[in-house]
Amino acid sequence: MEFVIVSYPTRRQVYVDGDLTGYTNEVLQMDPGTHKFTLGPPEDCDPVFCEVMVKGTTVLLPMKIAFIRKW
Amino acid sequence: MSIRLRTCMAVFAGALSLLLAGCGSFQVNPPLARYDPSSGYRFEKLEPGSNSDKLFVILVFSGGGTRAAALSYGVLEALRDTQIQWENRRISLLDEVDVISSISGGSFPAAYYALYGLRIFDEFPNRFLYRSIQSELIDSTLTPAGLLKLGGASFGRSDLAAEFYDREVFGAGTYAEVIARARRPFVILNATDMTTGTQFPFTQDQFDLLCSDLSGISLGRAAAASSAYPGGLTPLTFQNYAGKCGYHQPEWVDLAVRDHKSRINIRRAARAENRLSYTDTEHNPRKYIHLTDGGVADNIGLREPLTAINSLNNSWSVLRLINQKKVDKLVVIVVNAGTNPTTRRDQTPEVPGLVDTLTAAAVVPLGNYSFDTLELLRQTVNEFNESMRLVSGCKELAANKGPRCELDIPVPHQIEFFPIEVAFEYIEAADERNWFKNLPTTLELPRGTVDKLRKVGQQILNEDPEFKRLMEALHGCIALAGQRC
Repeated sequence: MEFVIVSYPTRRQVYVDGDLTGYTNEVLQMDPGTHKFTLGPPEDCDPVFCEVMVKGTTVLLPMKIAFIRKW
Repeated sequence: MSIRLRTCMAVFAGALSLLLAGCGSFQVNPPLARYDPSSGYRFEKLEPGSNSDKLFVILVFSGGGTRAAALSYGVLEALRDTQIQWENRRISLLDEVDVISSISGGSFPAAYYALYGLRIFDEFPNRFLYRSIQSELIDSTLTPAGLLKLGGASFGRSDLAAEFYDREVFGAGTYAEVIARARRPFVILNATDMTTGTQFPFTQDQFDLLCSDLSGISLGRAAAASSAYPGGLTPLTFQNYAGKCGYHQPEWVDLAVRDHKSRINIRRAARAENRLSYTDTEHNPRKYIHLTDGGVADNIGLREPLTAINSLNNSWSVLRLINQKKVDKLVVIVVNAGTNPTTRRDQTPEVPGLVDTLTAAAVVPLGNYSFDTLELLRQTVNEFNESMRLVSGCKELAANKGPRCELDIPVPHQIEFFPIEVAFEYIEAADERNWFKNLPTTLELPRGTVDKLRKVGQQILNEDPEFKRLMEALHGCIALAGQRC
């Protein structure tokens, strides 16, 4: 099992591989491999999406994926 | 040519065409006009009603003919009679079941429950469990109509069995009726794709790959595919209309295929490539899919639920629900009717015969694979628990250094996992255990044997240590000796 925190200044929905999976700034669990991360609307985040190979994480050292506010 | 000879030839040609017309062809699965992920038999389309996601219950019914059907039915009875305290309500544990995954013999009670709900408890024993299904199937094969149908190259004994199940067991019910019920549990009957050797679940997500509409398929046909025991019963044929309904694969499939070379998650890549084998219309189109007994791929029926628990990339991913903090308690009840018949093979120096050797070659790998499947469940539970132990250990170590060193480690949503297994090997008395472990795999058992299986299913469930722990957590009342709480 892999662990990822998707960060954003506010609480937003996190979509992994096109499916609603959880919320920003929380630890999400997933299977290893390349995943596509997007945030729920509005589309004011940068990048619009990111594809990341998730591997080698632990619950103590989750991977951090940062989205920032565009405007 | 004389008029007499011409008349004879015309009569002969007429008789031949009548005979050929009489030969059976497989019941064609309907095409899907347009791919629509918001309709069809899908987990997310079923109303949970009062069934709470917080307590997520998965039942798994293994293969094993009537033995498996009766054992699973006994567990359903036990769950119906078990009262729990949940969200300020006193309810039956059966009301909280979210998913049932079944194989072969276990698919009969699963399909009946999907179609008729609680009516199963009034009807199923006489409709299936107490009947000599096997003899009735043979009788229906040996009728002139049966033999004529079997003359068709695309019609096999399982097609005849599907017609029999439709007529005699499931009242011709189709998935359209299951969809119309729109209620959990989500029941997944599993067959095996004979070419890829992978599990083939009867869900719309799977039939989307074939551009076929599951709603037009009968539960009898699904159960027949799931229980098409190799040798005794033939595989069932399904038409593949891939490329004709505007279907597109979910996003993860392309990502997983690209990961193949990195070997980072071979299992996920294999699942993706398996999906693509149905939708490839250019290089190696598969016009027909041949399904055999679900037990060939996984005789427990646990693989599909394990994927749902471990992966986000599943049509009914439980892991997604956990990440969304919708699940607090995850219960997996495996009803495993696997046996281990006594053999006299080792009492003699004689070389085992061909039949004995071939039977061992077919059955032993299945047993070993089932063992590994159950091990995977235990590993999954350990993995979930391990991460929490790690976090709490770190916190404790840091806290011992003083309040300044206290750690604030963000943690994933925590669940309590209850893996429960109902299997003959957990029967305490050796004589009784051996008796159950020597029951044959057949579609007819004496009434007394069926009753013993129903009873022992309830007994093993109630004695399972994880089930007892669940009952404590839910302030449950276990019904004893046929009495209700």
